[in-house]
Amino acid sequence: MSTLERLAVLADGAKYDVSCASSGVNKQNKGGIGNSKSFGICHTWSADGRCVSLLKLLLTNYCIYNCHYCINRNQNDIPRASFTPREVADLTIQFYRRNYIEGLFLSSGIERSPNHTMERIYQVLDILRHEYHFYGYIHVKVIPGADPALVNKTGLLADRMSINIEQPTEQSLKLLAPQKTLPVLFAPMNQINNQMTQNASERKIFRHVQKFVPAGQSTQMIVGASKDSDLSIIKATETLYNRFQLKRVYYSAYVPVNEGPNLPALSTSPPLLREHRLYQADWLLRFYSFKADEIVNEQSPFLDTDFDPKISWALRNMQLFPLEINQASYEELLRIPGVGVTSAQRIILQRRLGNISYNHLKKMGVVLKRAKYFITCQGCYYGGIPAESALVRQALAPVAKPVQLCLF
Amino acid sequence: MDYLYDGSFDGLLTSIYYSYYEQRAQGIYPEASYQFNMFTPSTVIQSDPVLAARVYDAIDRKISVYSLMQIYYVYLSNNTAKENLILKYLQLGFQLGPKIDSIHSHPEVLPIRQTAKKVSFEAERFLGLLRFTDTRSYLYSALEPDHNILILLADHFADRLAGERFIIHDKKRSLAIICNKKDWYLSDFSEEAAIPDSETEQLYQELWAKYFTRISIENRKNKKLQSHFIPQRYRHNLVEFRKSELL
Repeated sequence: MSTLERLAVLADGAKYDVSCASSGVNKQNKGGIGNSKSFGICHTWSADGRCVSLLKLLLTNYCIYNCHYCINRNQNDIPRASFTPREVADLTIQFYRRNYIEGLFLSSGIERSPNHTMERIYQVLDILRHEYHFYGYIHVKVIPGADPALVNKTGLLADRMSINIEQPTEQSLKLLAPQKTLPVLFAPMNQINNQMTQNASERKIFRHVQKFVPAGQSTQMIVGASKDSDLSIIKATETLYNRFQLKRVYYSAYVPVNEGPNLPALSTSPPLLREHRLYQADWLLRFYSFKADEIVNEQSPFLDTDFDPKISWALRNMQLFPLEINQASYEELLRIPGVGVTSAQRIILQRRLGNISYNHLKKMGVVLKRAKYFITCQGCYYGGIPAESALVRQALAPVAKPVQLCLF
Repeated sequence: MDYLYDGSFDGLLTSIYYSYYEQRAQGIYPEASYQFNMFTPSTVIQSDPVLAARVYDAIDRKISVYSLMQIYYVYLSNNTAKENLILKYLQLGFQLGPKIDSIHSHPEVLPIRQTAKKVSFEAERFLGLLRFTDTRSYLYSALEPDHNILILLADHFADRLAGERFIIHDKKRSLAIICNKKDWYLSDFSEEAAIPDSETEQLYQELWAKYFTRISIENRKNKKLQSHFIPQRYRHNLVEFRKSELL
C-alpha cells in the first residue's frame, strides 16, 4: 500500500477519538524545530466542523481486542495497515514545517501485546524528540496493561497522555468491551497522576528535572452506545476530575459503525444534542464551581434538552434570584444564566469605579435575553414578568420552528 | 485643526504629542487618504521618533502597558476611524490613568476593546491558518488578512521555525516578513514568488488534503459550522481546500 492509502486507513481509524486540544503547555524552541503555545492553536476545521490541531493517527489498526463499538475490532473486515515509527515521525515533521498541524496525536490498535505497542509508540517519540529535536506538542494514548516503566519513559517525552475510559460504568464496559475493566484503565491513570504530582514537587527543588506529562492527562467517554444516564456520566466525570486531576473529560456521541446485539442500530444518528449538553455540564463543573448533584439528580437523571444545564439549575432554584448585579459575589454572578466568566470578571472590575446600569451590561457581554429574569440592576428588575419558575420557563422556551404545511 | 500623518505608528504618536503641546487636534488622518474640506484647516505632521517615544513612555507610565498594547492593535486594524478612536481613548486615559482598563462599557473604551479584539483574534487565527510551501531554498506563505497582522505573527514563526529561511507574504498590503534562519525583518514585498513546486512538496500537499478529507465523520457533517470557523475568503490560500476537490 502507498503512503497515501495507509494514511487514509489510519486516519480513518483514529477519527473517532474526539480529543483535539494542543493546549496546556508553553514551550520555546531550544535549538531544533517547533514550540508550543498554552492556548493551543487550531490549524483547520474539517467538514464536520471539528477542529484539526494535531495529526491524529493510529500506528496500526490491527487489533487483538474486540470492543463492540470500535471500528478497528478484530472481527471487522476492513483494510488494515501500519506505519513504522520513522514514517510517523517524518510525516509529523514535514506537516509541521508547512504549518499544517500543531503536533502529533498518536494512538494505536494493539497488534500483539500492550507492551509491544507501547514500545513502538515510545520509539516514535524518541525519534521526534531526540533525533529531530522537536519541541512541538505530542499527545499519546496509553495502552492499558502496558508495563508502568514503559508508560513512565514515554511520559517523559509526551506533553499529554490519555487513557480512554470509554464507558462511565463497569456494567456497560463489561457489555461492550469485555476485555477491558475499570481497574485496568484506572491503574495507569493513577500512575500518571502520582508521577505528575511527584514530578512537580521535585521540580521545585531541582530546576532541571525533566517534565513529566506537562499538559496533564485527559480521557474520553462514548455517549449513547449503552443505556447509561447523564447522571452516571456526570458523576463519573466529577470523580475523574477529583481523583485523577484530569485536565479534560471528552464526550463522543456514538457514531454507529458496527452491528451487534448490545449496540444501537446502524441507522441511529449520533446523539449530538446530548453530547452538547454534556459539554455544557462539564464546563459548569470545571469553571463555574458546580457540583454534579446540582446539575442532575436521581429524580431527573437526564439533562434537559430544551434548556442548557445552567438555566435548568436556575429554574429549579428560583428562590435564590433575582440577584443584584452591583452586590452579588463573583461566585454568585457566575450562577446567573447569561453571565459567563469574562462578563463576571468585567462586572467585578467596573463595579469598583461606580454603579453598573442595565445599559452597561449588554456592552460587557452579558446575554440579557436570558439574564434579565435573574437579576436586578440598581434595584430595578427588567424581566417584565414575575420571576417565577413556570413563567420564566415559558418565556425562555425555544420557539418551535415553523413547518411548511404539506398535503402529501 | 486636523493633523495628517504618514501612516506609521510613530507618526500617529507624534500627532498626539502635537495635539497636547501645540494645538489640540480635532482629528488625525492618514495623509494619503485625507479628504480636504473648506471648514477645517489641516497640517501635515512629520513623524519624529523622539517625540513619539515620549508619548509611548507616557502611556506606559501614566496609563498602562495593557492600554499601550490595545492602541497598537487598533492601529493595525482596518478601521477607517482608528486614529480618532485612539486619540479620544488616550485623552480619557491621561485623565483616568490605569482605571481606564476597568471600564469596559465606556463609550470611548468599548470601540477600542472591540477593534483590538478583532485584530488579536485574526492574528491568533493565522497562527494556525498559515500554510508554507517548501521551495527547497526557503518556505513561502501567502495570506490576505483583513487587518495588518503580519508583525504579530513574526516572533511566533521565527521561534517555531528557527533554522529555516521563510517568507510570509501579505498580498493585500504588499508586505512580507522575511526571516533568515534567526533574525526577521518586515519589508515591502510585491513580487509574486514563482514557486517551483517540487515533487516531494506535491506529495505532502496531497497527503495533507487526503488526511483532511478522511478525518471528518460523515454522520456528523456540518458545513455551516465549518464556514463559521473558516470563512470562504481565507480558503483559496489553504492547501486542503484547494486540493480536496481533486481527491
